[in-house]
Amino acid sequence: MNAVAAEWIKLRTLRSTWWALGAGVLTALALTALGASTVISRWDLGQTGEHASMGIIVAVYVGVVLAQLPLGMLGTLTISSEYTSGMIHTTFVATPSRTRVLLAKASVLGGIAIAVSLLIAIPGYLYGQAVASGFDPTPLPAAAWTVVGGGTLMIVMTTLLGLAFGAIFRNGVVAISMLVVLLVLVPFVGRMLPGGEVVNRILPGYPALQLIEQVPDTMPDAAAFAVLGTWAVAPLLIAVLANKRVT
Amino acid sequence: MIEVIGLTRRFRRSVAIDDLSFTVAPGKITGFLGPNGAGKTTTMRIILGLDRPTSGRATVNGVPYRTLDKPLTQVGALLDASAVQGGRRAEQHLQWLARANGISQTRIGWLLELVGLNKAGRKRVGGFSLGMKQRLGLAAALLGDPEILLLDEPLNGLDPEGIRWMRGLLKSLAAEGRTVLVSSHLMHEMAVTADHLIVIGQGRLLADTEITQFVRPGMSLEDTFMKVIEGSAS
Repeated sequence: MNAVAAEWIKLRTLRSTWWALGAGVLTALALTALGASTVISRWDLGQTGEHASMGIIVAVYVGVVLAQLPLGMLGTLTISSEYTSGMIHTTFVATPSRTRVLLAKASVLGGIAIAVSLLIAIPGYLYGQAVASGFDPTPLPAAAWTVVGGGTLMIVMTTLLGLAFGAIFRNGVVAISMLVVLLVLVPFVGRMLPGGEVVNRILPGYPALQLIEQVPDTMPDAAAFAVLGTWAVAPLLIAVLANKRVT
Repeated sequence: MIEVIGLTRRFRRSVAIDDLSFTVAPGKITGFLGPNGAGKTTTMRIILGLDRPTSGRATVNGVPYRTLDKPLTQVGALLDASAVQGGRRAEQHLQWLARANGISQTRIGWLLELVGLNKAGRKRVGGFSLGMKQRLGLAAALLGDPEILLLDEPLNGLDPEGIRWMRGLLKSLAAEGRTVLVSSHLMHEMAVTADHLIVIGQGRLLADTEITQFVRPGMSLEDTFMKVIEGSAS
């Protein structure tokens, strides 16, 4: 727990953390409000309360997923900036277990990603409920939990993936480029290639978009959660193994 | 106590450390000398578990560094004072380090005062001079009140007053019974600071002796050092 507390102090005492989080949250909130308003304005009067509520929650979690890139970059910088400055050696002198350091960073970042998702989702949800009050949206229909779970897992996954890339490549520019390539470029290119749909299914983007109801279902929700969960955990395990070698 | 036993570190093409053995005893200042590239920093990095030896081993208080629980309470290290993140305030840098080893935060104010940074504690490290970073690094090394200190070139960047202050501090730390290993290439300074010398060249041990026995009659430490280094190279 000492290592987790130390990592939290490190993260909160750098101004760049707050700039990244502030930019991510504010952009996402603005886009959520805009998205929710647009969606709600298109509804006809026959919209049921349950459908209205789902529409709001989906719009909100599209906003949450939009905040993933600043968080992924924060995940990367948390470790790559220590390699660049050389402070990683001080970190390892204080906590000799590389695995413990990486897992401590992952715990703090995972917590922050969940907190950020709530900072976007709760005000966004309340705003949507207020704008759509004429449709009497139900508070939280059962189907909403898939959207909440999928959106939250996506933002946590991207943050941890950023950390893993930072720990593997030890260079912020390389790691962030890889993150953007994997999350943005490959899915985009994949769509245009024959067989690309199959590849897209095992990339992190498509399963998340399916869970927040932005693309047609191509796999059971459980499979989508499994793919996302694997992307959150497996690169981190590779980073742990890569960091067994020293210096 | 620090023990280095048959330590060898090979890089792809070169041998950085070659079958090096020595012991650093408590209660005195041990100067760790050698020309650039002799393997001083590599040896210190291996003692601290930051690098693995090709063969041999290094222990602190009889065990490998990596097996220590809360290592800062046993070993304090100053390797590269400028390897800090500039965005943090000096006191915040010490806060995370203290927290990492469960050390009381109440020591921080006292330590900043000890190293002469009490006014700069709330300033960001990015604006520090090298001398101020050395002082911060020393505060970090002393954070856990360790019995063992490893300081790599702690005098770099210090002004004459700072060098004098560091000398006095190291002497008092050794007088308290601590093990103090200090690498330096400032011979005049080592001549008046160190009690014991470990001299290495090209990764091999050249001398491990009291300073009074090392310096040849009628010669300065610097002259003796140059002779020993030249003798080993030929």
